[in-house]
Amino acid sequence: MPGPSESSITYQDTAPEGVAEATIAALEGIDVKWSGGEGSVHPLAGSYPGIQVDRADYLKAAQALHDKADFAFYVDNTAVDYPERQPQRFTVVTVLMNLKTQDRLILKCRAAEGESVPSLTSLWVAANWAERETYDMFGVPFEGHPDLSRIYMPQDYDGWPMRRDFPLQGHLRFQD
Amino acid sequence: MTTTSDRVVADYLEATGSSEGSFLLSSVQAMANWSRKNSVWPLPLGLSCCGIEFMATAASRYDMARFGMEVARFSPRQADLLLVAGTLTYKMAHVMTRLYDQMAEPKWVIAMGACASSGGMFRSYPVVQGIDEFIPVDFYIPGCPPRPDAVLNCLMELQKKIEKDRSYRLALKPEDEGAPLPLDEAPILPGRGEGPPIALSTTKERFTEEGPQKRAFRGIQPEETRR
Repeated sequence: MPGPSESSITYQDTAPEGVAEATIAALEGIDVKWSGGEGSVHPLAGSYPGIQVDRADYLKAAQALHDKADFAFYVDNTAVDYPERQPQRFTVVTVLMNLKTQDRLILKCRAAEGESVPSLTSLWVAANWAERETYDMFGVPFEGHPDLSRIYMPQDYDGWPMRRDFPLQGHLRFQD
Repeated sequence: MTTTSDRVVADYLEATGSSEGSFLLSSVQAMANWSRKNSVWPLPLGLSCCGIEFMATAASRYDMARFGMEVARFSPRQADLLLVAGTLTYKMAHVMTRLYDQMAEPKWVIAMGACASSGGMFRSYPVVQGIDEFIPVDFYIPGCPPRPDAVLNCLMELQKKIEKDRSYRLALKPEDEGAPLPLDEAPILPGRGEGPPIALSTTKERFTEEGPQKRAFRGIQPEETRR
């Protein structure tokens, strides 16, 4: 099933305009790909600046943003499924906010099926339920999460409903 | 022709010396059916807007009490009828299966409204596409939500069904299973005598072959909910 395309998001090595100096400085030494920012309005990404990091750097980047760039508020976490992009079909998306400057930053990293992404619960307690929801809907496990279980669906539910290859009508009813 | 009951009456009159009998002759089956059908205590599982419509059915304007059904029981141990009114999610399906298992026999199930019958407009991952994926259903009420009239009509159909119950008889004469009903016990189906009868929406028969747990989704087995 064709999903959304990521091809219209452009990534660059330098930060777009409008990103605070402190944010750029905090991410010094981490391999970061920038996207979005002022002047770019993408139907998926909006105009918020975003950074994409490797899975291995995800926790490090989040830690830097939390400790050095004052991103105190964990807004949301979700994932996007691009089934045609193999093997790393998932993009885990975290939205952070700096309450002093009202800046938002979107933190992204890619994961293949079954690959786990570090949990950010050690930095923001708010990550707990948000990551459970992402796990519930997409089946992306979060490493180091204190209670990684389904939050909406019953514990014995079969499948990950928000994946693109999950049948729209749900379960086995019409398959017998 | 002298029947058994005639002989019983004659023996009674002779033994007591009276000229009239202060008793009533019936069969246990008929008495049980009569009392059951006039005291159907529903367990309303109101899951969404159908629950509100059920409340209207129970309240004074439509007045379910006219049929002996006003005693809505919120304990499955005391209920005869599970009335599933509304949208059932897979998460809630665990609860519904458990309630059904806790109800004492004989018990009946009504799927009220489009959602309970078929998932309704919610063709999506959390919604059970008809409660008969989990438990056997006696009657389905169409509507979104059904009007109280439709609910009352269904309850009256349920009474007719209870009236035709033959379980005592089959316990004594198992060979009667599947045999055509005697004329006086034949179910009165809508449209009888005017072309082929319209079958009532019963699924008990369907479930005897396949069992509800076979259709239920993986992981929820009725045994597991019986604790």
